[in-house]
Amino acid sequence: MSTDTKSATVARKSSANWLFGLTLLGLLLAMCIVLSFTTKSFLTEANIMNLMRQGSMIAILAVGETFVIITTGIDLSVGAVVGFCTVIAAWLLTHDFSIFTTVVITLGVGVAIGMFHGFGIVQMGLPPFIITLATLTSLRGIGLLITNGATINIVNDTFTEFSRNDFIGLPNLFWMVILVGVPAYIFLHHSRYGRYIFAVGSNMEAARLSGVNVKLTVYLAYTLSSTCAAFVGLLLAARIGVGNAMQADGWELQAIASSVIGGTSLFGAVGSVHGPLIGAFILATINNGANLLNVNSFWQRIITGLLIILIVYFDQLRRRRG
Amino acid sequence: MVGTNPHGQAADAAIAAASVPILELRGLEKRYGATHALKPADLAFVRGEIHAIVGENGAGKSTLIKLLTGVITRTSGEVFWEGQPVALATPHEAIEFGINAVHQEVVLCRHLTVAANMFLGDEDVGFGLLRKGEMTRKAQAILDDLGFQLPAHVLLGDLTIGQQQLIATARASIRGTRFLIFDEPTAYLTRTEAAQLFALIRRLKERGVTIVYISHRLEEVFELSDRVSILRDGTLVGTRITSDTNETELISLMINRSLEQIYHKEFFPAGDVLIETKNLSGPGFHDVSLSVRAGQIVGLYGLIGAGRSEFVLSLFGRHRKTGGSIVWQGKEVDIRSERQAMDLGIALAPESRRDQGLCINLPVGFNLNLPIFPHITMAGLVPFSADRQRADRQINDLQVKTSGRGALVSSLSGGNQQKIVIGKWLNHGARLFIFDEPTVGVDVGTKAEIYRLLARLLAEGAGIILISSYLPEVYELADELHVFRRGEDVARHAYHAASHEEILSEAIGV
Repeated sequence: MSTDTKSATVARKSSANWLFGLTLLGLLLAMCIVLSFTTKSFLTEANIMNLMRQGSMIAILAVGETFVIITTGIDLSVGAVVGFCTVIAAWLLTHDFSIFTTVVITLGVGVAIGMFHGFGIVQMGLPPFIITLATLTSLRGIGLLITNGATINIVNDTFTEFSRNDFIGLPNLFWMVILVGVPAYIFLHHSRYGRYIFAVGSNMEAARLSGVNVKLTVYLAYTLSSTCAAFVGLLLAARIGVGNAMQADGWELQAIASSVIGGTSLFGAVGSVHGPLIGAFILATINNGANLLNVNSFWQRIITGLLIILIVYFDQLRRRRG
Repeated sequence: MVGTNPHGQAADAAIAAASVPILELRGLEKRYGATHALKPADLAFVRGEIHAIVGENGAGKSTLIKLLTGVITRTSGEVFWEGQPVALATPHEAIEFGINAVHQEVVLCRHLTVAANMFLGDEDVGFGLLRKGEMTRKAQAILDDLGFQLPAHVLLGDLTIGQQQLIATARASIRGTRFLIFDEPTAYLTRTEAAQLFALIRRLKERGVTIVYISHRLEEVFELSDRVSILRDGTLVGTRITSDTNETELISLMINRSLEQIYHKEFFPAGDVLIETKNLSGPGFHDVSLSVRAGQIVGLYGLIGAGRSEFVLSLFGRHRKTGGSIVWQGKEVDIRSERQAMDLGIALAPESRRDQGLCINLPVGFNLNLPIFPHITMAGLVPFSADRQRADRQINDLQVKTSGRGALVSSLSGGNQQKIVIGKWLNHGARLFIFDEPTVGVDVGTKAEIYRLLARLLAEGAGIILISSYLPEVYELADELHVFRRGEDVARHAYHAASHEEILSEAIGV
């Protein structure tokens, strides 16, 4: 076999992957263009900034969720972790902890929750669906117990202003997506453990017999997911200025949807970082556009559902051909 | 009459004239894009014959099966079923005619009972409810009738792979089958199971069923078949009456290479002892004492389930030992994890490619480099260039037939997949290589390449443990041969010191 044909095939394959990424980006742009013509308020600075803020948090959740899904797992707890972490952050700030300490402790809570998921899956042998479903409901309960069902108001302007401010023309929240996305990309596609995540998702036994530390890899995936969720909890607390355990209801489904729209396979071993990011902003644009067009918010849910079916179906067609 | 006729084509014509062919292919052809998977083939299957098809991996056997079972559609050519031209475009249509296939890897539901599997899609229903008791009784009656001593009420997953294969065959045989294709059915069977399967195949033949039998094991072809067709590189190179031909002729037709060249054996002076086990026990085996020297192949022969794979998995740290000790290069070690075994210098190419050896939906290059990512990682990152260079070099050295390192492993033929299972350890710098059934489902050409690879490892000072259920393989290659039976090391022989018959009876325990 000549080297020419080799590199040609490889190039064709990787260009097909990029093509899918570009198709998603194209879809996003097409929606934006249509909305700019059909509504007066879409293409205003205020709205675009708002859209970026809305999409950012789901985008970060989706990146964490993607690590887990690539290992053929699922993390249903991310929404609850976000809500729980708003409570932790608010409680710490009202008890005169510094912002730095608050951030460190809250992220530490995320790490601990992820480790617990890893423990449940690796050591106790529980299915990921079950252990993360259990934490989903328990964390909301613990959060409500801490606040006694009430909402904690955050009186710390430095903290709350962060989410409203901009930096070089982009909202701070959007910068946070880049802050998470770039290292996540390097980790997943260019590091050893990033590859192990794919290997575990493809064939756990083959990975183990190849010397991959499968347990550590599973721990890592869930810890990353929960830590991303804890980070989003901090951002949400800053944005709404309160700590409330019932916040971020249903965000886990939006995160999973973004990931799947972005080309992640629920059968494992297929996924990227840029896909879920674009997926999250597609969902945010749909919601934003529907609001501006005065579409009944119930319709938004239906449209999201149909869109998931459509995009994943086209992705399946593409894979079957390839 | 035809017995003295040396020309296969003429013999073919003679037999075809004797009766009406049940299935006839005229100019059947299949292309995948630029790949010519099957070049125009003419072949007639006679009612009630056992027709073997042999060829190397990638010779077009799978393509032919898929065409016959309607899984893929042909590019051109015609198919006649009992003299009538048919489309044969869907699996459903093939089943309607009575064409069924039994695959090497069982495709049934492990979580259902044996009876439920046998009647799957064709359940016995009374008043809208499943008549489970009735089905179990019927299934049991069929199994008893076939002479299989297997219970119908247990879960399929509780049976061995060989037993599952028998169930799959029984299932096909009760569905009004008139044309049954076996794709390497004995790859995972023990001798007893294979004998049961052969008995069943002969009974089906007596009932007028046409059998197509695909196997790499030529002795089975001679034991079972009436005629044999040979495929090479997508071309049907000929059809012979089995009793008129011999192994040498078939092999030369398949590969243009002689039998002696396949078992490539080189002798090296035995070096220092690499590993020694003393009364080692663990899950599935007990009291095994053996040692491996550098430059030496130690063969482990036995029936499937004799404890050989379990023994090497314990050496590799996959299972914990329960007693005895392991000495690695003079030092006693307690191997607790695969990583530890690899760091000592042990490499294992496991038995099952799909379940243990490969991440088949990931690229070739990824699989080749998976064990060595720790070596090529710099500052926590895997440099693209090292990744690429190593993968390309390996693909080149091993002559893996693939479109490139980015191709998915699932797109490769069985033999090429096996090259990757073995090849991924060659860069690792191990001293002891363990190969568990390295040539199951691999064609003769690739076998020869694998054996040459073993010799190269020995020349570089490594030691090898070779597990095989195929006696000629360990017999011709091993410097020291151990026979396993029911988890015990029952005999050891020097190179060619015992006969095939002795070794076989030790393995069976008669």
